[in-house]
Amino acid sequence: MLLSREQTRLDMRSAYGDSLVEAGLKYPEIVCVGADTTDSLKTKNFGNKFPERFFNLGIAEANLVSVAAGLAMAGKIAFASTYAAFLPGRCLDQIRNAICFPNLDVKLVVSHAGLTVGPDGASHQQIEDLATMRAIPNMKVMVPSDAISAKKIVHTSVHIRGPVYVRLARPPSEVLYDDTTPTEFGLGKGNLLREGADATLVGCGLMVSTSLKAAEILREKYALNCRVIDMFNVKPIDDELLEKAARDTGLLVSVEEHNIFGGLGGAVAESASAHYPVPVERIGVSDVFGESARDEELELLLDVYGLSPAKVAKRVAKAAEKRK
Amino acid sequence: MNKNWCVARRLGFNMTLKMRYLDLKTKIRAVRMLAIEGIAEAGSGHPGASFSAAEIMGALYFRKLVHNQKDPFWKGRDYFINSKGHSAPGFYATLAVSGYFPAEEIKSLRGFGSRLQGHPVRYSEEQSKWSVPGIEYSGGSEGIGLSVSVGLALANRLDGNANHIFTLIGDGESNEGQVWEAAMSASKFGLDNMTAILDRNRIQQDGFTEDIMPLDPVRDKWVAFNWNVIEIDGHRVEQVIDAVNKSLAVKDKPTIIIANTIKGYGIKHMTNNPQWHGKAPGRKQTPILLEELDCEFLIAPSIIAGGKENYEEKIRMAERGGADMIHLDVMDGRFVPNHTFLADTIHRLRKITSMPFDTHLMIENPAAVVDEYISARCDIITVHAEACSQSEFAEINRKLISNGISPGIAINPDTALPDWIWDYLNSIDVVNILSVNPGFPGQKFIPKVLPKMISAVEELRGNGYKGYIEADGGIDSITLPQVYEAGARILVTGNAVYGTPDIQGAILQLKHTANVVLEKKLLDLSTSIGIRNDWLKTRKHILIPFANELDIEEEIHALK
Repeated sequence: MLLSREQTRLDMRSAYGDSLVEAGLKYPEIVCVGADTTDSLKTKNFGNKFPERFFNLGIAEANLVSVAAGLAMAGKIAFASTYAAFLPGRCLDQIRNAICFPNLDVKLVVSHAGLTVGPDGASHQQIEDLATMRAIPNMKVMVPSDAISAKKIVHTSVHIRGPVYVRLARPPSEVLYDDTTPTEFGLGKGNLLREGADATLVGCGLMVSTSLKAAEILREKYALNCRVIDMFNVKPIDDELLEKAARDTGLLVSVEEHNIFGGLGGAVAESASAHYPVPVERIGVSDVFGESARDEELELLLDVYGLSPAKVAKRVAKAAEKRK
Repeated sequence: MNKNWCVARRLGFNMTLKMRYLDLKTKIRAVRMLAIEGIAEAGSGHPGASFSAAEIMGALYFRKLVHNQKDPFWKGRDYFINSKGHSAPGFYATLAVSGYFPAEEIKSLRGFGSRLQGHPVRYSEEQSKWSVPGIEYSGGSEGIGLSVSVGLALANRLDGNANHIFTLIGDGESNEGQVWEAAMSASKFGLDNMTAILDRNRIQQDGFTEDIMPLDPVRDKWVAFNWNVIEIDGHRVEQVIDAVNKSLAVKDKPTIIIANTIKGYGIKHMTNNPQWHGKAPGRKQTPILLEELDCEFLIAPSIIAGGKENYEEKIRMAERGGADMIHLDVMDGRFVPNHTFLADTIHRLRKITSMPFDTHLMIENPAAVVDEYISARCDIITVHAEACSQSEFAEINRKLISNGISPGIAINPDTALPDWIWDYLNSIDVVNILSVNPGFPGQKFIPKVLPKMISAVEELRGNGYKGYIEADGGIDSITLPQVYEAGARILVTGNAVYGTPDIQGAILQLKHTANVVLEKKLLDLSTSIGIRNDWLKTRKHILIPFANELDIEEEIHALK
């Protein structure tokens, strides 16, 4: 399932753009709305292929998601996309009332989530979305960890009834899966990527590859054998997989490019407390706003905010030590 | 029939104006009554917004929407998106009267386990416990509905559907920036398959819109956003329907109908009063409020009064004076000795006003010529029981109904209700009980007609007749209270209006005369149910101008 360590990097947004066109060919009811970021989100490809099914609504996110709701009411499967800072950042009420409450087939696929937005800085670094999206009834929340899973999750979302929030990251990312991977990326599932008995790292998005690297460091440097789960489905979360991990390893560590409150960490803690209470270490952005960093400085940025493989490994080792 | 309309629309036919004016008014009155019952029962709700939009919703649901109550999700349907969700009680009442759910259910409004939630919930299988069929959109959060309609309009255009998307928006709601985002996008895409209707009642929760957040010049705003703009009086159903028809014919642009309305319209003390935006009346007052709604009257000046010339001018004066419709006395010189005008004149007059034409055919053999009056686009056509047989009336009635014209029967002072009238109680909209022998204007009211009217009303109501009673002949400030008290709700006025130099003043005076009767009636009712003092307090600012005539000056003064 996993590729070897020498990594190719692929862009999640291009994967989204391609898979949307593929899905559009198959399902004529798919339509797409954009908010002056269609070039960046790669939904322009869909627009070029199906101009009559593509609507650019300009910089107006509240209108964007509400128009998507109207399209879905008329029987369409509507994809609405822009930057995560603004969707859901500027239109929480519309997502709640116009999409989730009536449980409409709107797929919110957003990019530039988390700190790795980079140069744009704090205003664009969305670190609250998993909390807000998770809290709305009927919403499903999915966070691909690479371009391949992004592609598969976009296809999955077409078949999920009702609203789905899909969170993509901006930078080209290491490819964790290959095209032939049989994983379905179905609803309520996580992927076990690495076995281990001493602790479990539960990551989502770009933090899955970080977790894998951290697991390597933990083995080499701390002699800890860590399990790694790609929890691409933050809601509904894979309780079964988490319970087993809690039983087997006794320590759950969530790793996410999101505030430590209410996101993946919250979901993991909720699941553990309900099914098999074990210590849960939540690694993420520690309730602070981010800052700018150029593309070549992204690793530095993540390290400063405690999200580099080394820092993650250190936290895990400390938590494992404390548990003893 | 609905499907035929849709076919007609698809083929680009100009739809016939299927208004049936009086029946529409009756249904809208029923909506108001139902809404007030629900709000009073619930102890909360928004009467103001429900009432300002009653004619808008009524004209749509009872006349213009292509929809099917038995198949609410029928693909070819028009959509009604109620973006101002706080008008829920009125919206629910409209759906009930339209046949989407049983009217008694209104009593559960806003309660636990009710399908009539505080704000409307989009109907679907999973939401069926909290919603009724016919609700397309979950309202409550303001400013979203127009965007949703843009999505619906785009999708339906993409699918090649010939349907239309109607959206009701509020003026307070228009504070939301999203309304203007939606406005820009609808004109960008040239969505001529959508019509927004602005309920411009000028009041929002905290007060008057122009104090809270000025919306004017609202017309210019929408023009600037590249919409086709039509401005109307939103309580005149004929104007609502006319505007909707015009909007359906517009190409490449969305239309907004700015409907100037009055918050709380229908219950005088709630009218134009921010206090009643979201307040429920006391439950004990319900019977009085229902009585007030039931007593709504229409003033219909007869333009042959004061001479057979200047009809156009007389119509304009009546319109300016606040008359409700125009009474047209057609006389052929045979059924009555006099001759006035025939269908060709009505044809000509139709062009100058959208006011309803209440046409009274005093002619021999009306069955032979009724088609001419149908094509002259009268709104009400009343024929004499003395001038046609039952079978002729049956044919006239069928034609009028199928052309959306309110049918009426008139009887002369010496004539009783025809035996066959009972077969048509559901399809007659007005019974005109003449109080003079027709033929000439300016005659005196024949007193013996009054007891006849009282017993006719009793008999008609007793047999389930829900339409109007019209009083015609010698109606002035003396006789108007008598016939109004007897149950007449269309008051034809001739010389009392056109025989005076100040036509506008005369109409106002006659309305005041009727209102004195009304206020007395309501006050008496409050006394009989033991809430006189409560009613006086509630109604104080309305009663002050009537205090002298009702002899309640001291009582009003004693109120704090």
